[in-house]
Amino acid sequence: MKIICLIKFVPDVDSFKYDHERNVLIRENVRMMLNPDDACALAFALKQKKKNPETVIEAVTMAPLSVIPFLEDVLRLHVDQATLISDKAYIGSDTYVTGRILGRYLASTDADCILTGTHALDGDTSHIPSQVAELLNLCQMNNVTEIKEETFSKELATITVSEEASTATYELMMPAVISLRKERKYKLPYIKYEDLNKDVSERLQILDNRDLGFASEEVGLKGSLTQISSTFVKTMEKKERLLVKNDEEGIDIVYAFLKEKGLV
Amino acid sequence: MKKSLIFYEQKYSKHSEELLEVAYRVHDADPCETYAVSFDTSGDGEGVFDFFIKVDCANTSGESSLLCDDLAEMTSAMAELQHQYAFDSILFPATYLGRMLAPRLAMRLNAGLIADVTDIRRHRGMMEIVRPAFGGKLMAGILSRTVPLMMSVRQNVFTDQHQEKKETVKLQHFYSINHEKKSRIRLLERREKEISEDIRDSEVLISGGGGVMRNFSRLIELAKQMNALVSASRKAVDSGIAPRSIQVGQSGKTVSPKLYMALGINGSIQHIEGLKNVETIISVNTNKSAPICSISDIVVEGDAEEFVDRLIEKIRREKQKDSESLNHQATAFPAAIENAD
Repeated sequence: MKIICLIKFVPDVDSFKYDHERNVLIRENVRMMLNPDDACALAFALKQKKKNPETVIEAVTMAPLSVIPFLEDVLRLHVDQATLISDKAYIGSDTYVTGRILGRYLASTDADCILTGTHALDGDTSHIPSQVAELLNLCQMNNVTEIKEETFSKELATITVSEEASTATYELMMPAVISLRKERKYKLPYIKYEDLNKDVSERLQILDNRDLGFASEEVGLKGSLTQISSTFVKTMEKKERLLVKNDEEGIDIVYAFLKEKGLV
Repeated sequence: MKKSLIFYEQKYSKHSEELLEVAYRVHDADPCETYAVSFDTSGDGEGVFDFFIKVDCANTSGESSLLCDDLAEMTSAMAELQHQYAFDSILFPATYLGRMLAPRLAMRLNAGLIADVTDIRRHRGMMEIVRPAFGGKLMAGILSRTVPLMMSVRQNVFTDQHQEKKETVKLQHFYSINHEKKSRIRLLERREKEISEDIRDSEVLISGGGGVMRNFSRLIELAKQMNALVSASRKAVDSGIAPRSIQVGQSGKTVSPKLYMALGINGSIQHIEGLKNVETIISVNTNKSAPICSISDIVVEGDAEEFVDRLIEKIRREKQKDSESLNHQATAFPAAIENAD
């Protein structure tokens, strides 16, 4: 069985610093990390491989070449193959174009199942999994909290999804796109000590537009149907406030306030 | 006349109705007809939309449930509607279903799509559609180059009410499913979540962050006393002590309670973005200059965990007093009657 994990490396948004003088977010030199939802997808695939060693896992990402060290670490977790799709022409692609680029590559593979995360920390549109599924004419579900290991096969997957107020269990015919949500039970293992510096370069393939063959007006900023025209940071409005201490008197004031509003 | 199509789910009708405001703001000066499309109800939306389209399977062999589970089929049905009516905009509430269906339809129609929209504004003479990025640390103004304009819209943000009553015209759209093909998805079971209460529906939220993580379960006790629900900041959710479903903020939910009690929450801008039309905010923080404090009505300076214990105790004592005085009255009452004799 072949599983493709569609993954993304994202900036650790918590390490962003804010430049209050210029009112901008400093996005340079931030730490990169594997998107947490995507890590769960990879963790599930590795769990399967441990059970069925004949399982083949390929990690696919579209990113600048600077993510190579991160992809190598993914390979050191015993992922069989990694594919990096990278081309200067793809810079500035919106989700529509990104979906088409990834879709074209995925259509050329013979995956039995495509695993992805649901949310990404940076863009958080959740468009790509659905759009790739649409291009490949496959079923896709977001917010998957569990894939039943006993029934997971080339033909079928039983998944549990978290909706707003309910939990639903579905049976999907494979191939399908299954988008996991961060769950503690799917945790990525650490790289084994003896693998820390393992040379994995031969299992990493790098593809560019010569391999995928898009016309230049189809990709990047030119091909994108949406475009970022401005970015800004929201500021807060100030309010008149009452400051009290965390003591008997403070509690009495809070209580009296709640009582007056009819909240206790 | 512009035409706007709004995706309608019976369960979240309120959020679909919020999109009327979005349609009017997107088409600004142009008159605009609103169409709702629903796969699960034909009886709703009366007086709200100009048109209400119910999609039905042409073949009624008991497979109607297929439509609400197989997103590829729903996409095809909506693409048919677009070809028939040529809508200028297609709007989805950013519900679970809406956020999966919108990108599929956008890809099918070769249209640009903007996710999780929180504002529509005019900037340098252009209409910009605003959405958060990087977990809300940054807001981005987006332009879309294609027609129809497509977006999914954050719930509880566009809350302006439209009083004008419409003569809703009911329409039906027949969609034929290819029954040769075996269904690729099957619903086995759906059950309500145990904590089915949605923090967006609660009038009072007891919200916990980094300052109450050692004793988060105490918040449930306080919430019980106040008939409230517990919500949390991203810090509490990321650390695993609270589920994502109760997260307030840009990467969580937008809430509009009467009272928001922020306990040990710093109140980053992306957290505050999740507070919309909140009547009162009480914050408890060791740092009285924390961002949340600047938008609070009452700031309690001090340890939030201690505060929770104190307030629970206070409420308990007051309740006891009340019931004692009630008992007192109850026993005093017959005596009063006797005296009257």
